[in-house]
Amino acid sequence: MTRKRALGLGYLTPYIIGLLVFTMIPFGASLYLSFTDYNLMSAPRWTGLENYIQLFTKDRTFRRSLTVTLIYVFTTVPLKLAFALFIAYILNYKLKFINVFRTAFYVPSILGGSIAIAVLWRYIFASEGLVNMMLTGLGFEAVNWFGDPQNALFTITLLRCWQFGSAMVIFLAALQSIDKSLYEAAEIDGASKAHCFIFITIPLITPVIFFNLIMQMVQAFQEFNGPYIITQGGPLKSTYLLPMYIYDEAFRRFDMGYASAIAWVLFVIIMVLTLAAFWSSKKWVYYAGDKRS
Amino acid sequence: MKKSIKTALLASALLPCALSAANAADLRMSWWGGDSRHVATQEALKACGAKYGHTIAPEFTGFAGYLEKLTTQMAGGTEADIMQVNWPWLPLFSRDGTGFADLKDMGGVDLSQYPQTDLDGVTVKDHVQGIPVSTTGRVFFFNTTTLEEAGLGAPTTWDEFFGAAEALRKKEGEDYRLFNAVSESAQLLVSLAVTQKTGKDLVDPETNRVAWTPEELVEGINFYQRMVDTGAIQSRQDEAAEGNVKLYEKTAWAEGKIAGSYEWDSTYFKFSDPLAEGEVLTAVPMVKFEDAVTEGVYRKPSMLLSISKHSKNPEAAAEILNCLVNEPEGIDALGDTRGLPASKVALERLQAAGAIKPELLKAHEIMMASEGPAVSPFNEHPELRATFVDTLEEFAYGQVSAEEAAAYIIDGANDVLSQFD
Repeated sequence: MTRKRALGLGYLTPYIIGLLVFTMIPFGASLYLSFTDYNLMSAPRWTGLENYIQLFTKDRTFRRSLTVTLIYVFTTVPLKLAFALFIAYILNYKLKFINVFRTAFYVPSILGGSIAIAVLWRYIFASEGLVNMMLTGLGFEAVNWFGDPQNALFTITLLRCWQFGSAMVIFLAALQSIDKSLYEAAEIDGASKAHCFIFITIPLITPVIFFNLIMQMVQAFQEFNGPYIITQGGPLKSTYLLPMYIYDEAFRRFDMGYASAIAWVLFVIIMVLTLAAFWSSKKWVYYAGDKRS
Repeated sequence: MKKSIKTALLASALLPCALSAANAADLRMSWWGGDSRHVATQEALKACGAKYGHTIAPEFTGFAGYLEKLTTQMAGGTEADIMQVNWPWLPLFSRDGTGFADLKDMGGVDLSQYPQTDLDGVTVKDHVQGIPVSTTGRVFFFNTTTLEEAGLGAPTTWDEFFGAAEALRKKEGEDYRLFNAVSESAQLLVSLAVTQKTGKDLVDPETNRVAWTPEELVEGINFYQRMVDTGAIQSRQDEAAEGNVKLYEKTAWAEGKIAGSYEWDSTYFKFSDPLAEGEVLTAVPMVKFEDAVTEGVYRKPSMLLSISKHSKNPEAAAEILNCLVNEPEGIDALGDTRGLPASKVALERLQAAGAIKPELLKAHEIMMASEGPAVSPFNEHPELRATFVDTLEEFAYGQVSAEEAAAYIIDGANDVLSQFD
C-alpha cells in the first residue's frame, strides 16, 4: 500500500467505523431481530416469519397505519414540490428586496422540524385558533381540524408543505441556471409565459424535480414529530403514521422484534418506490447533453 | 518484651478499622429525576454512606431514556446495586418475582413502616421486589371558587355531581364544565365507576385476567357517556379539536370555566398554579355512587427502590436503602423530592419538621384515607392501557357500541395478561 493510500484510508477510518457501528450493524441486527420475539429482557427467540405473517394477516393497526402513511406521502410530496416550485419561480424574478423574501421563505424550513413549531401549529389550528378565527371572521363556519378524522391528516400535511424551503432553494438554483437565451428565442417565436414554463423551464429542471421527489418522499415516509406532537396519531388513528407505530411497538410495548419487522416493511416500500421513480425517470428526466428529442 | 507489647497494642487499636474496612462496600445507585431530586439524593447517599462506611456511586438522569438504560443494564446483569424503578415496570422486569432481590428474605429493610396494601403492590408471587418510596393516587380536585359563585358545594355523590354539572351551566353559562376527563383520566373514571359498583380492580390477581364482566364494563362506559351527554365533561371530539391541550395549559381551566378534575394527589400544585388569582383549588373526598361497594380509590406505589439480584453486596445495599427511606439521615436529606414518603416514620418526621405544604398533605391524606381494592400494575401496562383508551375513543366517536367496546377491551386486556401466565 502506498503512503497516499494509507493516508486516505486513515482519513476515512472514522467515517467507516461510524458507518459500521451506527448504520450497518444496527441495519443487519434489525433484520435479524425482525425474525425474532425480543422484549429486551430476555434473549431474542427465533420465530421465523411469524412477525411478518402477523403484520399482513392479523394486524388491523398496521393496515390502518400503512394506509394513512401512503395517503400522507402521496398527498404531501406533490403538494410540497408544487408549492416549492411556485415560490421559487416567483423568487426568481428580479424584485426589490428579493434576498429578504428568499430568506423569509426559507425560514420555516429551518424551524419546521422543531417541536416548538409543531406546538404552534396545534394552537393555530385549534378550535378557537387563528385559522378558525379568520374563517369565522370571513363568514365561514369554523372547521374541526384536529377532532375530525377527515381533516386531521390534512392539517398535518399542511405543516409538512409549509416546510418547503429546502426544496425551494434547490429549485431556485436550477431556475437560475437556465440559459436566458432560450426564453428570448421562444418569445421571439411568439411563445407565452405559460408555454415557456411548460416547454422550457419544466424539462430543463427535471433532474432537480427528480432529486427533490426522491428526497421528499423518503423524508415524508419518516415523518414523526408533527403527528406525535399535534395529534398523537389520533383521532381514531387517522394520523398514525408508520414511524409512530414503530416507536410505540419498540419503546412502549417493548416488542423490538415486531417493531423491526414493521421498520423493514417500511424500508422495502421506500426502496420499491425509489426504484420505481428511478425506472420512470428514463422517460421524463432530461440531463444536459441528452440526445432524446 | 516492651516492643512486642507496643506492637500488640497498636494491632488491637487498628482492629476496628480493619473490621470496618472489611465491611465497607462500593455500591452504585441509579435513579431518574430533576435537579432537586438529584441534589437531595446525593446528599442522602453521602450521609448514609458515612453512617455505614460504604461508598455509593450515583448514576442519575432525567426520566427520558432511563427505562431504556435500565432495561439494557438489567438485560446484561450490570444494573446498579440500588435502583429506582417505576411501579408499572414491575411486570416487565419481574414477571415471576425474581427480577430483583426479595426484600422479605433479605432483611435489613424495615418493612413494618409500610401499610400492607402498599407492600402488596410491590410484591410479585410472594416476593417483595422493592420499597414503595411514596404512594400516589387519584383524587378529586374542585375549583371551589367557581362552585361557590354558582351557589354549589363540592359533590359527594355522582347524583350530586350530575346535578351540579347542570346547575353550573345554567348559572354561569354553557361554556362552563364541572369536570374534565380525557384519555387516561377518562379511562380511570370508567374504571372508578366499575370498581365502585363491583368492588373489583380491573385485573383479578388470582386468575390474572380481567375481573369485570362485560355487563359491568358496559355500565362503566355508559357512565362516561352520561358525563358527556349531561355536559359535565367535554366530548372527545371537542377535546381533540382543541389540540389535546393539557388541562393545566387551558385558558378555561385558568379562568375557572372547568371546575374540576380527577388527578394524582401529588400534582396538586401543577393544577393550582395556573389558576387566576383568587381561584381556589381544593382536594375533596371521593365522589361515589349511593350504592357503592367501595370508594374505589386508584392508589399505587409511585415508584420503588429495588436491590439488584446481581449485587455483590446485598446486605450493604439493604443498609443504605433502609437508611434512605427509614432513618433520619436519609429522610432529612431526601425530604419530599420523591413525593410524600410512604414510610410512616419518614412522613411523621417531615410533618413534625413542617416540611410538607398543607394543600399537598390534604390531598394525600384524602387519598390515603379512601379505600379500594389493591390496584394491579397491569392497569398501566402500555399495551393494555392503549387498548382501553383507543377503544374508548372509538366508542366516543360512535364507531362501536358500549357492548362492543366492553368486549374489545376485555379481550384485548386478556390477550396482554395471558402473555404473563
